[in-house]
Amino acid sequence: MRSDIIRLYKSVHTWTGILTGLALFIAFYAGALTVFEGPLERWLSTPPREASTPLDKAGELIEKTLAARPDASKEFYLYLEDDDRVRLAWEKRTVRTVPDNAPWTAHLEEDGQLALVQRHPSHMAQFIDSLHRTAGIPGDGEIGEHFMGVVSVLYAVALVSGLIVVLPSLVKDFLALRLGKNLKRFWLDAHNLVGVVSLPFHLVMAMTAVVFAFHDHLYDLEDKLVYGGQLRAIMKASNPLAGLKPDPHPATMVSPRQVLDKVRDLEPGFRPLILHYRDGGTGSAVIRVLGEDPRYLLRGKGFLWMEGRSGEILSTDYFPGRQGSWNTVVSSIFALHFASYGGDTVRWSYFFLGLAGAFLFYSGNLLWLETRRRQEKHHGPAVAQSRASRVMAALTVSISLGCVAGISLSLAAGKILSGKVNDINAWHQGIYYAFFLGAVAWAYIRGAARSAPQLLAAASLATAAIPMSSLVVGDSALAGVDAVAATASLALAWMAHRTAHRGKRGPGDSVWAVAPHETKQH
Amino acid sequence: MSRLRRDWWGKSSAGVFGGLGLALALAGLVAWLTPGGPAATNKFQLIMWLVSPLWLGVLSLCFLFPSGASAWRWLGGANLLAFAALAACRHFLA
Repeated sequence: MRSDIIRLYKSVHTWTGILTGLALFIAFYAGALTVFEGPLERWLSTPPREASTPLDKAGELIEKTLAARPDASKEFYLYLEDDDRVRLAWEKRTVRTVPDNAPWTAHLEEDGQLALVQRHPSHMAQFIDSLHRTAGIPGDGEIGEHFMGVVSVLYAVALVSGLIVVLPSLVKDFLALRLGKNLKRFWLDAHNLVGVVSLPFHLVMAMTAVVFAFHDHLYDLEDKLVYGGQLRAIMKASNPLAGLKPDPHPATMVSPRQVLDKVRDLEPGFRPLILHYRDGGTGSAVIRVLGEDPRYLLRGKGFLWMEGRSGEILSTDYFPGRQGSWNTVVSSIFALHFASYGGDTVRWSYFFLGLAGAFLFYSGNLLWLETRRRQEKHHGPAVAQSRASRVMAALTVSISLGCVAGISLSLAAGKILSGKVNDINAWHQGIYYAFFLGAVAWAYIRGAARSAPQLLAAASLATAAIPMSSLVVGDSALAGVDAVAATASLALAWMAHRTAHRGKRGPGDSVWAVAPHETKQH
Repeated sequence: MSRLRRDWWGKSSAGVFGGLGLALALAGLVAWLTPGGPAATNKFQLIMWLVSPLWLGVLSLCFLFPSGASAWRWLGGANLLAFAALAACRHFLA
């Protein structure tokens, strides 16, 4: 390929990479954790866990709940647990789509008495998801999401430009990982290897993230340019519930057992997880059955809509195997972003791909720094690095490690404080931002070299706090979260040790040298 | 071989705006020219999704144009053609 094209695209890659790398680090690290949002949510819900009711009594539970609390009729959920038990929950919503974060749960006691409990669950798992969508930029989420939309556009350009740059040497150097005195060569090989191997994953993420950020604007533009103003009408026509007439008169619904039997008859390979009721107990009640089917690419959870009174199936537009051609393609795209296919194998793969992605952006910044390193002359005076390099180095270590440590600390705190403080979600956000911003300030003041091992040690301790918090609370459920956190903590501790070593004994002419010093001869 | 001019602003702007316009028009053409037309059930979602890869593809490759002016000429022309075709669809196929 022509060298002037390569040179041009190298500039494109460098600029887009530098501008977006740190935001993308947060997105990918938090995104990797979000793959396990469900397990994290369960880990955070310390005992006493919500009581459940046998599935065969679920119809009675619903009737009694609606009699006691008619406001629940608008929308409530029946979560299906293992061994044929269910949990019923609903939230009061002041506005249609904004929950007040204090859900009510209902269950039947042994003697059939209805028991209602209001809970104040931790939303840390959802906060991690929001970090991944906004990189933590405050505001109502829209600002952060739009910002990440722009980041994703640049990121897509960074991916293609990186591929163009690496293409000529791809065959020769692809699997090379040259360790040696030339640090930059090593980081470059690692960066290229991870980048090329995970390119399909990254292209999907970039493309889907742009849509998630801008879909409203795209629909608006298309309404004018393509649909002649008819888009809202077309959307409504595609909605299976749009034609239903509201009927507030009380009416008995099919029982949950009957609902599940019907779904199983339709598709035995589908595993129902949640029954979502709207206008429950009335003539126009509808039930959405959500669940999983690893054989298909689903948009999050696949679902069907059923009429509450008769059990008649209203729509299978988003049901695995019955989606219709347009929906199948769109659901596949969603699935490729959310890892909602292939079960746990795919989920773990995405987790590691997410972490590898975070490494990709971190190493990209390191490459930028190594390229700009002011070389010391043999036996010459100690060399100080440029201001830009020092700032970039400080930002790189603090934003990445501040994010990692902030999330770990906030998770551990959530476990300990759950049920003990008024607004646990304020604590989550407070702890995260305090640590994150503190890390950025610390690295700026002390410099990357001194603060890197300290921040790594802090991240290691914060992550160790996760299994510790489980021990403190006396909870052994979901040990997987604790095991992964313990392993990560050890890895971070090892990195802290290596980084401290580099600070003192590594090359003197580097942002990572603790003080500009002459490189010690090994 | 003619030299590749850098023209950062010229090429990027062509890629961003020209690319977005072209993506919207091409997606619209897909909507109108594939079975079911634009009103087919749930088709509108995929049509919106198409804009992303089309736009990002053009934007990524726009630096290959020899110059910013060339980028605008080609992308501007493509936009005119695509939107003209789309207008024809909306007029004749509605």
